[in-house]
Amino acid sequence: MSLIELKNVSYSYNDSTKAVDDVSFSVRKGDYVTIIGHNGSGKSTLAKLIAGLLPVKEGSITVDSLEVNEENIPQIRKRLGIVFQNPDNQFIGSTVRDDIAFGLENKQVPSDEMEAIVEEYAKKVGLTEYLNYEPQNLSGGQKQRVAIAGILAMSPDIIIFDEATSMLDPKGKKEIKQLMYDLAGGDDITIISITHDIEEVLQSDDCVVLSKGKLFMHDVPEKVFANAEKLRQIDLDVPFIENVRETFGKYKIKLKANDLKGMVEELCRSGSKR
Amino acid sequence: MPIRFKALSYIYNKDMPYAHKALDSVDLDIREGIITAIIGETGSGKSTLVEHLNALLLPSEGSLEVLDYNIVAGQKQKFLKPLRKDVGLVFQFSEYQLFEETVIKDVAFGPMNFGLSQQDALKQAAAALKLVKIDESLFNVSPLELSGGQKRRVAIAGIIACDPRIIVLDEPTAGLDPKGAREIIDLFVSLNRQLSKTIIIVSHDNEMVYNYCDETVVLSHGKVVYHGPTMELFDDKKKLKEFDMLEPQIVSFRNELIEKGFKLSKDARTLKVIAREIAGQVKR
Repeated sequence: MSLIELKNVSYSYNDSTKAVDDVSFSVRKGDYVTIIGHNGSGKSTLAKLIAGLLPVKEGSITVDSLEVNEENIPQIRKRLGIVFQNPDNQFIGSTVRDDIAFGLENKQVPSDEMEAIVEEYAKKVGLTEYLNYEPQNLSGGQKQRVAIAGILAMSPDIIIFDEATSMLDPKGKKEIKQLMYDLAGGDDITIISITHDIEEVLQSDDCVVLSKGKLFMHDVPEKVFANAEKLRQIDLDVPFIENVRETFGKYKIKLKANDLKGMVEELCRSGSKR
Repeated sequence: MPIRFKALSYIYNKDMPYAHKALDSVDLDIREGIITAIIGETGSGKSTLVEHLNALLLPSEGSLEVLDYNIVAGQKQKFLKPLRKDVGLVFQFSEYQLFEETVIKDVAFGPMNFGLSQQDALKQAAAALKLVKIDESLFNVSPLELSGGQKRRVAIAGIIACDPRIIVLDEPTAGLDPKGAREIIDLFVSLNRQLSKTIIIVSHDNEMVYNYCDETVVLSHGKVVYHGPTMELFDDKKKLKEFDMLEPQIVSFRNELIEKGFKLSKDARTLKVIAREIAGQVKR
């Protein structure tokens, strides 16, 4: 069942160019959907429209049959959280504990209940030992985990990740991606992740490709990447494994496996090595 | 040797309760005319290290030779301006520092600051913008109207326009889409190959480091734990594990093939060459 529906959505910041141009697609409940596209393809604009951070002027977006408009936004926001790109710009509290509690305080959760909730989600993101740390003593990956814990504490059923790993080092990227995969593993939370990380896309259920504001493709990742040439035309990369398949294909070697190990085994089988 | 760190330490908030040794007695020689990568975890001291190269930070202990300049802890420096002309530093997210009304004025700001007349500065700026492939039609628009990748290239042009001998780039591809990242990589490779600039890149992108950087320095907790040819580092599984580094996928693939008995030459570092060499060893 589709949870989020976009119908003919367009948006322009000024009158000249359309940042989002007639985009329609739907997201099923519990799915993990990645949105890819070059810089300026409309990815972030689309996310902001879904989250009600920008007004929907053309077309319509519904979340659980509720139209995203001024009237419904407070209700939609209650169930939707966003993790942004820069870990430094979203730390509000003076300690990890305060930061995770911030949303709960706004929601007027009684303070005796709050402590247990904060600890539960700190545990979930693996930061139990850091509850009294100040933000400047955390790594980028840890800061992003705090942001995610703060969002989870509000028990949302939709989380939007807006290039949440792009400013992190490889270790931080790995941490956050693992956390996203864990969250996506359940059926409770629907995830929309805007990303440039092609390897992340391979882990998602569904991939939306944008180009110049328009919907370019929408399919399962395997099918999206099967069309390497088409993706390159709009300046997108394909996963390493597809590059291997393609390059060996030029030498008339057909590789069918979906991971590197499997490909090497295929080569071994066809290899009457000299 | 154009760059030589000698027992250099840097302490943030020296003599304060929060004092933090970001660089710990670093000895390091960086060769001229090549591309050197500086890698290491967040907080390992990478940015602190490169900010010494044009004396944005001065050593707390030890010294540093850069080209003909000698920077010694505790001594007043008299040559900051010529040093900063010779060593151009492109910061992380440098596009946030664009401030002039137009692209060309922004790029000309540096050379004018170093004493060029407005006319000459504009000429240098135009040449630098051409090099970073910013079209002339964009010279007179506001930098704010450009895309992320374009903005970053304009920021880099601002450094190139000062004609430095050493160009330092702190995470130049972070946050860019694949195309934007490729444009930046092509740019610093051509600055090195065609204009013989010494390039130093701080990066988290191991794939990029593997493919384009001649030598690599690994920092950990403010110390240099590896400095040598990039290929040797990535071929050394033990070291990668020790430094908690992810193996680039092409290296995993190459190693896996060699382990299974395929013969690959030392030069088989790209998919194309690997596929060509393997093609001769399997039935098609």
